[in-house]
Amino acid sequence: MSAIETAGARSPAVSRCEPPLYAVTLWPHQALSPRGFAVVMGFTGAMLCVPLIPLLGTAVGLGLAPFLVLTLGALGFFLRRNARDLSLHEELRLWPDLVEVVRREPGGGVRTWQANPYWVRLTLRPDGRPENYLTLKGAGREIELGAFLSPEERADLAEELENALIRARTHTDAAPHRPDA
Amino acid sequence: MADAAAHAHDDHHPGFFTRWFLSTNHKDIGILYLITSAVLGLISVAFTMYMRLELMEPGVQYMLMEDGITPNGHLWNVMITAHGILMMFFVVIPALFGGFGNYFMPLMIGAPDMAFPRMNNLSYWMYFAGSALAVLSVVSPGGDQQLGSGVGWVLYAPLSVREGGYSMDLAIFAVHVSGASSILGAINMITTFLNMRAPGMTLHKAPLFAWSIFVTAFLILLSLPVLAGAITMLLTDRNFGTTFFDPAGGGDPILYQHLLWFFGHPEVYMIIVPGFGIVSHVISTFSKKPVFGYLGMVYAMIGIGVLGFVVWAHHMYTVGMSHTQQAYFMLATMVIAVPTGIKIFSWIATMWGGSISFKTPMLWAMGFIFLFTVGGVTGVVLSQAGVDRAYHDTYYVVAHFHYVMSLGAVFCIFAGVYYWMAKMTGRQYPETLGKIHFWMMFIGANITFFPQHFLGRQGMPRRYIDYPEQFSLWNEVSSYGAFLSGASFLLFFYIVYVTVTKGEKVTEKAYWGEHSDTLEWTLPNPPPAHTFETLPTPDMWDKNPHH
Repeated sequence: MSAIETAGARSPAVSRCEPPLYAVTLWPHQALSPRGFAVVMGFTGAMLCVPLIPLLGTAVGLGLAPFLVLTLGALGFFLRRNARDLSLHEELRLWPDLVEVVRREPGGGVRTWQANPYWVRLTLRPDGRPENYLTLKGAGREIELGAFLSPEERADLAEELENALIRARTHTDAAPHRPDA
Repeated sequence: MADAAAHAHDDHHPGFFTRWFLSTNHKDIGILYLITSAVLGLISVAFTMYMRLELMEPGVQYMLMEDGITPNGHLWNVMITAHGILMMFFVVIPALFGGFGNYFMPLMIGAPDMAFPRMNNLSYWMYFAGSALAVLSVVSPGGDQQLGSGVGWVLYAPLSVREGGYSMDLAIFAVHVSGASSILGAINMITTFLNMRAPGMTLHKAPLFAWSIFVTAFLILLSLPVLAGAITMLLTDRNFGTTFFDPAGGGDPILYQHLLWFFGHPEVYMIIVPGFGIVSHVISTFSKKPVFGYLGMVYAMIGIGVLGFVVWAHHMYTVGMSHTQQAYFMLATMVIAVPTGIKIFSWIATMWGGSISFKTPMLWAMGFIFLFTVGGVTGVVLSQAGVDRAYHDTYYVVAHFHYVMSLGAVFCIFAGVYYWMAKMTGRQYPETLGKIHFWMMFIGANITFFPQHFLGRQGMPRRYIDYPEQFSLWNEVSSYGAFLSGASFLLFFYIVYVTVTKGEKVTEKAYWGEHSDTLEWTLPNPPPAHTFETLPTPDMWDKNPHH
């Protein structure tokens, strides 16, 4: 399922000793769980054995087996492929002097955006397309956030993030961000 | 990083060629499937008109050799083979599974498209190539120094191995290519249904039509590889000297029949199960009630699907199986009446006490229930191994399977077409013409096939060009019915033409009322090219759970 996980970000692009004030990981909705995948593959494999078992050891069995194995393999491959296509992650971490969004794409690509939270502007467009389109603007760019989430999830995220940004801006230890730090 | 502007694009409008020839859009591909299957249906129905014309009177009047006197039995065999292959592989399943399945399953579960849109395109064009091969096989050099192959759609060995020419090879390739297309399509549907349902839409909340497509996809996935293997071995027996099905080399022709029917019986359910899904929505919508027994309906479909894999040999009681085997297949077959009964009674219970509106889709759905029940009951009769000794390969069998497939499944297709016509085209069909179409088809099909029960009981065998005079009365009646049904099919094409060109524009999203409450009814008519890019929320599809 799509989710917003606030327990902590994974594999930070920048290493810092102090924990972030706020961290969130977003990923798209997936309806099939790993257990569901195992059940589907197990069921399909068992059912494909029905015509094969009586023919084991015969020439016809040998003729049939490649087709059945290929089918099972294709199902497994495409189910995994679809899960991989949906394995997009966006990780946002916020410190008093730095906000960072890391986007990990299905093909392995990693794209990073960093800015100073003091200047960052969060925009939620209720009439946007898609609805509740959420963007972060800073460091000369405007990026989208959680475009794969539902509109309600984006609205909740916007509220949570706005509060976190206020906390970051009013944090007593706030210091100017130095990207080379 | 995804820049904000990149996402806020407008609907793009591809050109004609890009849209229809390179399409990866599930809705366009669905329409392509529907159009192609309709054209192939017309060809296949034309063959039946020719056959019924020939059977109208005893003797051979039309299918003659060049001398104008000698009956051309090969041509007859080619006609029945082509009719069977086209209807089984290229018309009914592509219309219900490829057409409606592609168009509406992703919409109903709130997915933006199929899981693999390019593979979807590949599936369609493989189906198209397979269809072309099937039609080509009819006009290619075949057995008896004539055109076409006349071995029946089941391609039984040794007849199919010995058939001359390359028409038979083309027919096998046609089934191969369409089989590969179906398997890829099935994997696409399974992946989409399993992994791309809207948030909160658990399996027990998915709409019945989406479930029916999922069950059908599994039937295809589990049975078509067996057929693919069997006909590949047939191909090597024909061309490379193998003897998989030749007793002279240690092979077994009966084994081919087992493999064929291991695919062939689930094939029957591949044809009808998507229809179950459509009919459930239509009955609920026009009875203005939620469907009765949602979970029972879902598990009945699963039950029918699973049982469909363990009853195949009831098609071959007469090949010399032991009594124990026959007893098993007889009992297992009769068990299928239980989940089927659950569905029939649930539909009746849905209508019970409802405020029924007899619009055209509802007429087709009710016609389906009546006809499918008749076909189901004769199916129980035929499941008896002893009784089947008398009925095997008679017109009783022809009547039975046309009641469940020609009438049952085709009525579901028309129910779906009229139900979703305005959703797909943005224009509504003329109601009066729709009703005339229904009554012509309903009366015509019953006049065609009901008398064939009598012919079967009289002992008239199927697959013959001629018959003794004693069978002439009901054959003549049957032919008149066929012509009426054929005319109704032409009327259908006219209705589609009138709808698309002059039909009343429909702007209301849920134009059949509040009980059509699956996700496609939250979209405009026709839906935009891209739908549900933002996933739908439960309040959009779960207004009244289990509608």
